[in-house]
Amino acid sequence: MSDDLDDIQAIFFEECAEGLATAEAGLSAMADGDVSAGVIAGVFRAVHSIKGGAGAFGHAALTAFSHRFENVLDEVRAGRIAPTPGVTRVMLTAFDVLADHVAAAQGTSPLPADAAVAAALDQVLADRGVAEAAPAPVAAAPAPAPVAVVEDDPFGFEPVTASVEPFDPFGFEPVTVTLDLLDDAQPVVADAPLPWTVTFVPSDAALANGGEPMLIVRELEMLGGTITGVDLSRLPSLRDLEPEHAYLGWTISVPGTVEESAIGDCFDFVAPESIVDIVREISPDIVSTATPIAAPLAVAPVPAPAPVPAPVALAEVPTLIATPIAAAPVPPMPAAVAPVAPPPPPVRPAPVRVDEAEVQRTHEVAAQTIRVDLTKLDMLLNLVGELVIRGSILADRLSPKDQERVELPQLSRLTREIQDTVMSLRAQPIKQAFSRVPRMLRDLSAETGKQVTLETTGETTEVDKGVIEKIGDPLTHMIRNAVDHGIESPEKRLAAGKPAQGTIKLSAEQKGARIFVRVADDGGGIDRARVRAKAVEKGIVAPDAVLTDEEIDQLICAPGFSTAETISNISGRGVGMDVVRSNVEALGGRVEIASTPGKGTTFTMVLPLTLAILEGMIVRLAGQRFVLPLANVIETVQPEPGQVRPTTTTGEVIELRGNYLPVRRLTRTFGFADNDARTPEESLVIIVESETAGHVGLMVDTIDDRREVVIKSLDQNLHPIRGLGGATILGDGSIALILDIEALVGPSAPLNRYPQKGLAA
Amino acid sequence: MSSTQASDERKIVTFSLGEQIFGIDMASLIEIREWDEPTPLPGVPSYIKGVTNLRGTVVPVVGLAERLGWTPSVIHARSCILVVNVDGKQAGFLVDEVADIVLIKDSEIRPAPDVEVGEPSVIAGLVKTTSRTIEAAQGSTDGIMVLLLDLDALALTRQLDLAA
Repeated sequence: MSDDLDDIQAIFFEECAEGLATAEAGLSAMADGDVSAGVIAGVFRAVHSIKGGAGAFGHAALTAFSHRFENVLDEVRAGRIAPTPGVTRVMLTAFDVLADHVAAAQGTSPLPADAAVAAALDQVLADRGVAEAAPAPVAAAPAPAPVAVVEDDPFGFEPVTASVEPFDPFGFEPVTVTLDLLDDAQPVVADAPLPWTVTFVPSDAALANGGEPMLIVRELEMLGGTITGVDLSRLPSLRDLEPEHAYLGWTISVPGTVEESAIGDCFDFVAPESIVDIVREISPDIVSTATPIAAPLAVAPVPAPAPVPAPVALAEVPTLIATPIAAAPVPPMPAAVAPVAPPPPPVRPAPVRVDEAEVQRTHEVAAQTIRVDLTKLDMLLNLVGELVIRGSILADRLSPKDQERVELPQLSRLTREIQDTVMSLRAQPIKQAFSRVPRMLRDLSAETGKQVTLETTGETTEVDKGVIEKIGDPLTHMIRNAVDHGIESPEKRLAAGKPAQGTIKLSAEQKGARIFVRVADDGGGIDRARVRAKAVEKGIVAPDAVLTDEEIDQLICAPGFSTAETISNISGRGVGMDVVRSNVEALGGRVEIASTPGKGTTFTMVLPLTLAILEGMIVRLAGQRFVLPLANVIETVQPEPGQVRPTTTTGEVIELRGNYLPVRRLTRTFGFADNDARTPEESLVIIVESETAGHVGLMVDTIDDRREVVIKSLDQNLHPIRGLGGATILGDGSIALILDIEALVGPSAPLNRYPQKGLAA
Repeated sequence: MSSTQASDERKIVTFSLGEQIFGIDMASLIEIREWDEPTPLPGVPSYIKGVTNLRGTVVPVVGLAERLGWTPSVIHARSCILVVNVDGKQAGFLVDEVADIVLIKDSEIRPAPDVEVGEPSVIAGLVKTTSRTIEAAQGSTDGIMVLLLDLDALALTRQLDLAA
């Protein structure tokens, strides 16, 4: 295979991944009860394009399976299979297999066994024939009209050509000209006879017991009838639409040459309570409530699917109205259901218009995208970063007056907007990393027999693409761990007075320069005694070691540690949490564990928001400038004499409105021993908020400035340094280090981690 | 790298550090810059003197003397920083004075004997050059011994992992 083809194939797989994500999101929404047309159509389109690409690249198994899947989806989309929870479940399983097929086509996994799922899909298709495809087998329907017409694609293009010519709306053929019938009501067609006006409003239950009002309309069409109006007044909003109910009424003009009895015969098998009105004149009030349609009856399949359960077709309605052409030659009616065709060529334009609507809708659902090489994006980001820095250098060098004169503020604003935009190009919602979790949970539930529901929050939190790519594996391990070790079996849960179904909460949030990704289960919590015993047994800790709860919890992350009784398929090989920790630390982040026995365990990945801008306070410590993330800052205090008091030889507290908060001298923390002489009164105390340590005061010398800074990672050329979130380049070209408040003030930050050496003056 | 350079030849940058003349491969060198006080970092070994801004990238500056276990270099007018690329990571090394760029043959490189630097492994080999600049500086006429530094062995991350 040539490189070119490989490239194209790579794009195909990227599209597959996107398609799968869309399909999964849609199916999940359906499982949650949102069976709106847009959602179903989205899933259909995704599977359809996977099938198309797979065919083009010769992935036979993938093509075959996606075709099967698509068949079912098509029926659901057309409203012929109701998206019941059962059907949705089958489709979710099918989705999983589809994902496996894609992976197999990529060569990353073996071909999945799809026989069972394929059979289930076929079963869904077959069941529809028995239970739901009422129109087909109904003998009561008097009309010989082929059901296939109704069963077709919701737009029903086929019948158009079939029946148009003989029943032209102008009724040229059967007409006998009678001059005295020149009537204002027939302004266009002066030579038409006074036709029958048939009003037919099927009752609500017209679709019950296999009834099909459309057949009656078709029969009238056979007699030369034309739909002149559709009564939409009973049509509810899409949300309230009952697919099994009939809502539409028709006004049908039947040529006057037809016998009244022939028309009456059509209504022999109409459902009780339906309104049938046959008159030989045009009733003005019907016209006013109904919508005149110039299109011949043959175009009717567009509005027709309404009685057939077809939410898709109804959803088209607003879009059709929105297309400008639809309003063209006929007076625009607000409730025009069908594409209104201009009279002279009565039929042809209709399909065109629907196509347009289709295109337009596609655009609404999937915004246009363009693929860009990531390195180009990074280069752009770096350049913009430079631009920002140059901008602040200019600002530093020019007096405010000169800045105004050269319009620097405007330039800065533009620069910032460019920067924000470029940042947002690389930032992606963390949903991408979360999207694989539901599937995983389904698999895990099936394997373990544990019932788990997933609650996701903050999935729109935007994180740099690089981070998203790298948290996939840790996240997988954390979820597996939560199901395998956290959530108990249903029996145990019930015995403990909990619901049988466990809950895993997956959340993401941004706080300052950090992203917090949490996996919280409501399981049994960490069994610390067992963890400790296991650690001792494995020689990870000494038998007589004194460990705090937190230290025991951290043992889970020790290499080679596993407490699972049996090595399961899922976890228990003793590598999981170790991998999580090392991966997260490689990203410059850390893993926090909080566990309450009997209540559950929460794992938190604290990740850097690399390549981001940070709103920071520039502070000075022993002459050196540092950036304090503004998100952490609560307030700044200029201590009065006596307000800061020593508690121990190294500890100090500040009294603030009756409360005592611990104070850290960053000069000490960082080993600037020479600066200790500075008194609290000469310093500033910045009260910061930390996740783990609450409010803490940080003593700094002065505050220089407040500005947005571009975060430059330290580990690009060095390695992450605890206590620092990165560095930035200030306006004068010098470097300021960004403080990581959590790591600096958190309880897990032993001060001795910072040796007194290391700061060359 | 010039096209006239034969495959068994290479250009090295020589510099002095304390009493010794060292050389590093030209191919690794990004630039030579004047000494500029770097921003010190907390919690790192003392031989990392801090970080500096190299055209928008944060680059660590290493005191080569300390890194080799010697007494720290005294900063003077000719002190400079050799910015090199090791394994895709950039680092600056503080040296006393850059001497010359010389062409050497691979065949002239001798394996390093047990030279008295803190870590013998950081010396990739020895080579004798006849650079006049260096000879003049050293007051010698029969060639000067240059210690070729193995930059990979100096790689910062590895050393720091051990220190952490």
